[in-house]
Amino acid sequence: MAQTYLQNTSEQTAALKALKKRRWGGAAPYLFIFPWIFGFVVFTLGPLLFSLVISFFDWPIVGKVTFIGIDNYVEMFSNDPLFWKSLFVTLKFAALFVPLNIVVALGLAMLLNQKVKGSAIFRTAFYLLCHLRRGACMIWSWVYSGDYGILNYFLSVLGIQGPDWLNDTNWSLVAMVVASLWGQGSMMLIFLAGLKGIPKDLYESASIDGAGKVRQFLSVTIPMITPTILFNLITSIIAAFQQLTLALLLTGGGPLKSTYFYAMYMYENAFKYYKMGYSAANAWFMFLIVLTLTFLVFKSSEAWVFYEGEMKKNPQKKLKASRRGRS
Amino acid sequence: MKKRISLIVLATTLMASMLSACGGNDENAGTANQESGSSNQTKTLRFATWDTGDALKIEQDIAKNFETEHPGTKVQVEAYADGFDQKLAAGFGAGNPPDVMYMWDFPTYHQSLEPLDSFADKDQELKIDDFYKGLFNYGKIDDKLYGIPAGFTTRVVYYNKKLFDAAGVPYPKDGWQWSEFQDIAKKLTDKSKKQYGFGARAENDTYDLQGFVWSNGGSFISPDGKTIEGYMNSKETAEAIQMFGDMVKNGSAVLTGGKGQQSGDDIFKGGKIAMWESGIWPLESFKQAGIDVGTVEIPAFPDKPVKGVLAESALSIAKDSKQKDLAWEFVKYYVSNESIKMRVADLPVRQSVVNELKKDQDPLYKPYYSMLERSDNTPAFLLNPKWNEVNRQLSAAVEAVMHGSNAQEVLDQAVKDSQRYLK
Repeated sequence: MAQTYLQNTSEQTAALKALKKRRWGGAAPYLFIFPWIFGFVVFTLGPLLFSLVISFFDWPIVGKVTFIGIDNYVEMFSNDPLFWKSLFVTLKFAALFVPLNIVVALGLAMLLNQKVKGSAIFRTAFYLLCHLRRGACMIWSWVYSGDYGILNYFLSVLGIQGPDWLNDTNWSLVAMVVASLWGQGSMMLIFLAGLKGIPKDLYESASIDGAGKVRQFLSVTIPMITPTILFNLITSIIAAFQQLTLALLLTGGGPLKSTYFYAMYMYENAFKYYKMGYSAANAWFMFLIVLTLTFLVFKSSEAWVFYEGEMKKNPQKKLKASRRGRS
Repeated sequence: MKKRISLIVLATTLMASMLSACGGNDENAGTANQESGSSNQTKTLRFATWDTGDALKIEQDIAKNFETEHPGTKVQVEAYADGFDQKLAAGFGAGNPPDVMYMWDFPTYHQSLEPLDSFADKDQELKIDDFYKGLFNYGKIDDKLYGIPAGFTTRVVYYNKKLFDAAGVPYPKDGWQWSEFQDIAKKLTDKSKKQYGFGARAENDTYDLQGFVWSNGGSFISPDGKTIEGYMNSKETAEAIQMFGDMVKNGSAVLTGGKGQQSGDDIFKGGKIAMWESGIWPLESFKQAGIDVGTVEIPAFPDKPVKGVLAESALSIAKDSKQKDLAWEFVKYYVSNESIKMRVADLPVRQSVVNELKKDQDPLYKPYYSMLERSDNTPAFLLNPKWNEVNRQLSAAVEAVMHGSNAQEVLDQAVKDSQRYLK
């Protein structure tokens, strides 16, 4: 008995060694990942680092390039009212968009999680919509049109005189938020996967304990999908800060800069005013903001995200679990 | 089974024949290349334009005519449309610009353009004296000529005769006043029919507003291009812009061309605005839409001379072009009488063409030429290389006025925000 055990382990270590050799030896694995590494270095990492370099230059497309140190950053913070304006607009947008986005996506996912006929069709339809998003921008501009828009038509049926959504400073940002919610598909699918992953017996035992639907939602569903919420929260924040297409197509940043997103400010600096260096500095500042926000959300997640198999109110274990979850 | 085999055979033979055909083509191409190489090589000239649609079609025809007159030359017309500036700038940045291009923004690009004085001076065929004289000022930076005028337009007021007749209002006449203009706009507004006297642009190009500002004795920038304080926010400048904001406020003008809104051109075509101010571009489409359209000079402010602003397009040659002589031949051909007559989307730059076609006699075209005589002020973008930055603030201010802000206040703010660019 003892001998077979020993034999087994020695065989195992030999096999492990062979495996290790195979894993690290030879060029084949590197050849396989080379295309991706190459693409990453040339098209992502390279430009990324290059943009950091040019952010320290006065870099017009046409004309002479001069090194100006941190002047771009100084100008941004101390002199440029548009920088603050656009940052504020983006923060306002994110504050409206991120929570709404998560609530709507979760709501849709819960609806599709019901056992009803045709839910597969709806699932596909919602997911398709998210890919029609770019084209849908034009549709939104018709929907929102003050005189001919279908939205104001419905409102007029109800006896309400709707505003000229995209040309009214009070409504333009709200209109953008609603139009942004259109691209729900992928986030909803992730929620749906999370919902499907909740074991049925949890609901069963909850109902045996006398919990109603609402109680079940609050005490079973929500805690069980907090990892999914965390993921969607972070991607939503990033998406909110990068919002550009809608603004370009629907409002052009107007009226009166009420939808002048930070990304658009950056885009115009680069491709309308040809201040490549300044725009790169803008981009790096945005990167820092998103990085900080993501970091804060991760930090806070220790307090509200629960991973399966982990006990509530056990800080020691929770810390470990969340570390594991993070890696 | 049999069917399948025959299918495979068929497919193989087809492929084989196609492959051999390709091979044959290659050989042909090879010999053709050698032939052209031995006699004279085909030269490709790249020509970038911002035009689209009908205007582009005409330009392609001109390029074809040039090819027939210059055997062995191919003109590649590159239509950059809305992306003109981005694509052109990228071309310059990469050292691979088109040889010839449409141009108006000389302060931004002149460093990348070839000075044309030497070409223009020694080439008698250009007949430089035949051009309207003022046009050359727009293509000059530091007294060097970077662009040959190719087309231009002045701005006039269009009016819909049918709407005037229906309201019993007499047609406006050259030499009219802004106060008359405002009265007429009020009379021709009928909100129950969604009809307005005038269309004000939601997003103005400040360049186009300069005519009004100059007419009121104001300007955006000092004549030496160094100061905006007291110019961009002067009483006269603010008054001229405020007038349009007021008309929107009192309902005699409707905002046009905002996002999701119809453009003023389209609303005028729809017969819903009685008066519209623009260059010559939409005239053809107004006629096609069946509008009985009239044109009249821009109105005057009391006791002040009317001033106009010129929108000019010129042709330039890239400094990096490797075939500047050929490029010059093309530019010259493009502004020859023959080509100018083909281009109906803007006004002829040569007096001989205008005289021949009697354009300045036609009542519909006459106002454009009388406005040309009034267009002798220098636009702001030619006076200061940083104008783009200032204009960013100014445009925001003008937009605010159209949305109901007080012109004096927002212009004061715009001056304050722009000062740092002028140091």
